[in-house]
Formats: sequence, structure tokens, C-alpha cells
Amino acid sequence: MAAFGSFAILLGLVLCAYNLVVGAIALRQIAVHPQASLAPERLAESARRAGIGSFIALSAAAFALVYCAFTNDFSVAYILHHSNRALPWPYKFAALWSGQEGSLLLWAWLLAAYGFVLRVRHRVDVKLTAYASTILAAVQVFFTLLIVFPAPPFALVQGAIPTDGFGLNPLLQYPEMVIHPPMLYLGYVGFSVPFAFALGALMMRYPGEKWIHITRRWTMVTWLFLTCGIFLGMHWAYAVLGWGGYWGWDPVENASLMPWLTGTAFLHSVMMQEKRGMMKSWNVWLIFTTFMLSILGTLLTRSGLVSSVHAFAESSIGTWFWAFLVIVLAVCLFTYILQRDNLQSEHKIESLVSRESSFLFNNLVLLAACFTILWGTLFPIISEYVEGSKVTVGPPFYNRVAVPIGIFLLLLTGIGPVLAWRSTSFKSVRRNFLWPVIAGVATALILMAAGMRPWQDIGTLYSLMTFSLGALVTTAIVTEFWRGSRVIQRHTGKNMLSSLVQLTRRNTRRYGGYMVHLGVAIVFIGLAGSAFNQSAEQEMGFHDSMTIGPYRLVCQSYTQDSNANYDSEYELLNVYKNGKFLLQMAPERRFYHASQQTETMVADHSTLERDLYVVYEGANPDTNQPIIKVFINPLVAWIWIGVLVMALGTLLALVPNMSAEQAAQSRKPMEESVALPAGVGD
Amino acid sequence: MTIVACAALLIGILIYIFYPQRKTEEQTQKTRLEYLRERKETIYENLRDLNFEYRAGKYPEEDYLAQRAAMENEAAQVLSEIEFLEDNVPAA
Repeated sequence: MAAFGSFAILLGLVLCAYNLVVGAIALRQIAVHPQASLAPERLAESARRAGIGSFIALSAAAFALVYCAFTNDFSVAYILHHSNRALPWPYKFAALWSGQEGSLLLWAWLLAAYGFVLRVRHRVDVKLTAYASTILAAVQVFFTLLIVFPAPPFALVQGAIPTDGFGLNPLLQYPEMVIHPPMLYLGYVGFSVPFAFALGALMMRYPGEKWIHITRRWTMVTWLFLTCGIFLGMHWAYAVLGWGGYWGWDPVENASLMPWLTGTAFLHSVMMQEKRGMMKSWNVWLIFTTFMLSILGTLLTRSGLVSSVHAFAESSIGTWFWAFLVIVLAVCLFTYILQRDNLQSEHKIESLVSRESSFLFNNLVLLAACFTILWGTLFPIISEYVEGSKVTVGPPFYNRVAVPIGIFLLLLTGIGPVLAWRSTSFKSVRRNFLWPVIAGVATALILMAAGMRPWQDIGTLYSLMTFSLGALVTTAIVTEFWRGSRVIQRHTGKNMLSSLVQLTRRNTRRYGGYMVHLGVAIVFIGLAGSAFNQSAEQEMGFHDSMTIGPYRLVCQSYTQDSNANYDSEYELLNVYKNGKFLLQMAPERRFYHASQQTETMVADHSTLERDLYVVYEGANPDTNQPIIKVFINPLVAWIWIGVLVMALGTLLALVPNMSAEQAAQSRKPMEESVALPAGVGD
Repeated sequence: MTIVACAALLIGILIYIFYPQRKTEEQTQKTRLEYLRERKETIYENLRDLNFEYRAGKYPEEDYLAQRAAMENEAAQVLSEIEFLEDNVPAA
């Protein structure tokens, strides 16, 4: 199977190269001789089919690697180092992306899969898709070259073949780890598609904004995957690493956040281009930057350039990524300089108080956050180059800068949707902001009356601002839904709920977007809870107890267990809340046989109000009694709820709008006769 | 077995790529006229949004009228160019 896998990868490389070279020749011929015979069109078609073929070849290679993992083929070095016989089957599947070679194969396969969909749907715009397909083939060639030369997943073990493998990293033996990396990769890889369309549109001097319309769903799907990937990673860090937090500003976490920030900026600013033909150069560079940041993130993860809990061992692969990044930047710059006259804005920002300016502020703030994080992430490399020693910046640096930026972004999340395009008068501002501002101020006053003291420390101040702005944003969004539903209700005579559904179906992108904003506000409220975290650590033998917040924990027993995959130590704790028995918790520590590594299994009791998070830290060597660390983390559950709302909102935005005919049918016949002219208001 | 699998994969893909096609999709360059028609649709959509938001009570009447006039001007410009091109450019 290893030989078949290697052959399939080589075949994939040849097919991508064919797509790139023949596709480029065909495009050139068509551009130079547009009235020529059908020959270049046939060449282009064979290039497109080669691209589709590359997906089949790389699917065969991915299947071969999974097959090797499931059949315990330890003659393949990758399987030997990332799997073992006792490994449960879902983790054998996850072994595909647990190491450098396998994850690069996954990357190449996902890229081919995106390319497959793009090439199959080429009729949306044959010429533009041909350009995008050729550019995507170039990216595919790079990633397939990586798995042919520096990181071959089917390399064979030299000498005697061991009877069992070294096992999967225990940190990765967690259910979310089976889906977190593919989600993240789907996000990273997916940005290649809008990048390819943007570069293709620029190369062919594509008139108009239809390329944005074509790539809109691609971008949203990609953004959704990246969002889910990032938050699954946060949840994994929270549940597995046992330090009580979910975001540690680790370079690899930062690497995933940076393209997310620029991708979010792109999703907003393309609306200005679609609606008003503005910000064309800006948008092109936003998607170029997003793609390059995805590659940079991968470079940081894999080169060992920066220290991270995620980083793979240092290898020569970094050189390949640097070379690719330089080539991408050069191609983007060259094409932009050559074709920039095709990117003239059709309008200018007419007022500082308008939807356009709120998008612009949103973009600037997102980019400021991105470059702050980039600076902090690359600072160790820069400091080593300048001073000769690595200086790492930690969470205090990021929190000092990112928290105020985040709060400002939250404010814009509420302001943007209620401003008008072109310009908004003071009367309109007063009309639209009255209730949101009242809600925000009232929330702040209620929280201060309840005991929050924002003047005592900056953390409490930020939390209060976040809660208050969260209320403002929520009210602004609820008001938007309410106002729109009322118009529908007046016209159709339906009840409010049906009107709300119809409103949403009429413009799924807008109302899905509002739902995403609501999700963002909920996530921020969850994050603000961290200002009130508490923790305590104690040695806890039989019947020892610990009190933290409203909880009292009493040790019932502590013991050891063993199975084929790992040995474990755990403690049974009875938890009482305000004197009443609540539940039993069992924090655990495992020792995995194959990898000879230990792993914490956190016990977490999560409610909407707070999480009770208990960690088994190990046994005191002097007394042999377990050490237990307990955290109380307020409002954490809201982060996960907020992400769910964001995901639902994005899915809603992906649903096609209700057609004008459907909307008309749902009106009452009587209303229809007095309605505005056809289409107006729909 | 491995050789058979490799050969099957290779031959299958080669047939798929080079199997002669009766009809090939033509790559056409988008014209100014097509672009203007897209632009017209966008302006109409913007106008529908504006009307809806006005009816939802989001904007005062003077804002609405000013914005509507600006959009109608934009639409008029686009429509006159479409008319000109339709009258003067021979059908493809």
C-alpha cells in the first residue's frame, strides 16, 4: 500500500503540473488569439480535467495512508511514529494529520478537493474559473512537491520493522482533536480559492464585481471552518491542557487568528465593492494577505521558528515555505502593478458617519489587531536577529493591546448594521441608537449597583465595558430584526414569528450576518468573565476538603487503573454547593504506554453562570497524596454558545435568498394590489 | 497487486483527461454591456434595500429621499449607457 500511496502522490504532482503549465499556455493562447480555432479551448479543458484527476490521485494517496494506519503497517515510518496497535480507531484516523508528513498530505488533499469543486462548477464563469484553476494548480504543485521531497508520508523504515508503533501524542488523544485540525486546515486551505479568483480576476482585468459574488460562498464557508477550527482548538486547550484557560497567545494559536482577522475584514469590505464599487485595491490586497498569512501560519507551525506547544520539530521545510511566500508576494505585486488601473474606485466615502466608514474602521481595527499579533509572534525571531537572543512576548503584551482593540471591534459590531450607506444624519443616528444606548448604559448601571467596581482595576473596567457594549450590540441587532419583521407583518398579515422567518429568508446574507454579530457579542461576554476567575490548589487525601466560591469539594477516594493504552490515577471528589450535594467529579492523570507521556484529563462542571474546573496535578512524592487544583471560571459556557450562534448565522447567510416570486406569493392578494412597484421592498 | 492498482489509477485518469469531447466550453471575455447589466441589478437591489429600511422606520424621510435620488441618478446613468451600447454595438 505504501508503494501505491507514493505512486498516487507522484501522479497527483504530475497532474497538478499539467494543469498549471497547459492551463497557462491555453490561457495565453486565448488571450493573444481570441478568434483562434478551438485548440486552446481543448487544451484548457484537458488542464481542467487534470486538476480534477489530481483530486482522485491525492484521494487515493490519503486513503492509502489511512489504510496503513488501520492495518498497523509499521513498515511506513510515519505510521510507526504516530500510531500503535492499542490506539482506538478514531485516533488511528486522526493519525493522518498528527505529524508533519500526514498533515501536509491532508493539506494537499483538501486543496485538491476545493479545486475539484471549483473545476466541476466551472460553468459559473468559464474563463475566470480557468484562471483560478490554473493559479490553484500552482499552489497545489507547491504542496504536492512538499510531500514528494522533504516530507514524504510513505517513507519506509530502514532495518528491522518494530512490532508496535510509538503511539499518538497523548495531547491529541481527545475527541475534538479528531475534528479540530481538519477544520482548521479547511479554513487555511479554503482561502486559496478566493485568492485564486482575486488574482485571476486581476490578471484577466475582469470587469465588475461578479468574481466577488462567485467567491462569496467560498469565503464564508472557509471563514466558518476557520472559526470552528479556532474555537475547537480553544475548547481542546481548555479541556486538555489543564491550565484553566482557553487562549494562551501561543504562536500557533496566533497563526490561526491572523488569517481569521484579515479574512473577517475581507468579508466586510467586499460588501463595499459589491454595493458601491469601492475599495477594489484594498480588497484584492486583503485576500492576498489572508492567503499569505495562512501560509505564514503553516510555516510557523512546521519550521520550529518559534517555540510552541503545537510546533512540529525543526526541519528544512521552512525554507520551502519561505521560497513559496516570496514567489507568491512577487507574483501578487507584479500583477497588481501591471493591472492596478483596473481597480479604480467608482465612488468615494461621502461621510464619516456611514456604513462605508464603519466598514473601513472595522477593517483598520482588524488589521491593527492582526499586525499587533504578527509583531508579537515574530518578535522572538526579530530580537534574535537584532540582539542575538530570543526575547518572547507573553500574554500581558497581547492582552494590553488586543483587549482594547477587541472592545472597539465589539462597539463597531453594533454600530455598523444600523448606519446607512453613503451618509447618516444626526436624526437617523438618534433614531437608531436610542434603545441600544439605553440598554448599554442601563447594563453598566445595574452591574455597578450589583457590586462591579470598574475604577478598582483595569480588568473589571474592561469587563464592564464589554457587558455594556454586549447589551448595546444585542439590542441593536434585535431592533433590526424587530423592525424588519414588523414591515413584513404589515404586508402579509402573518404573525411575528412567521414574519421573522420570512424576513430572514428574503435576505439571508444580511440577517445571517446580524446573527454572526450577535454570536460575537455573546463570545465577548463569555471572554469578559475571565476578569473574575478564581483558583486554589491543595493536597487532598481521604475526606480532605477545599472551599472555593460557593463550592466545597470533599475527597471520597483516589485510586489507579490500567488498560492496554494507558495507566491512570484519579480522585473521586464530592462537590457541594451552598451546603447541598451537587455532583461527583473525577479529575484524572494518564500515562500512555506507547509514547511514555503523561496527560491530564480535566473534570469540568459547566453551567451558564460558571465552570467548576478541577485538575489532578499528580501525587506529592513525600506524602503520596494527590494535589488538586480547582478553578472557577465565570461565563465560559457563553463562549461556546456564542460560537454556535456565529456558526448558525454563517450557515444562514449561505442559504440562497427567497426569490421575489416566493416573497410575492406569501403576501395577501389584497396587500399585493396596493404594494409598491414590482420588486421594491422585496 | 500494487502494480495493477497503480496502472488502473493511471489509465483511468488518463482516459478521463484526454477522452475526446464533442463540445468544449468557450471562454468568453465579459463585455462592458454585461458589466453594466450586473451593475444595474446591484443598484436596483440597493434601492430595494433602501425602500425596505425606510419602511422599517430606520431613516427619516429627508435622508431617504436624498439617498433615493442619488441612487436613481446612478441607475439613470447606467441605463443610458446600456441603451447607448445596445443601440450601437452589434449583437455578438
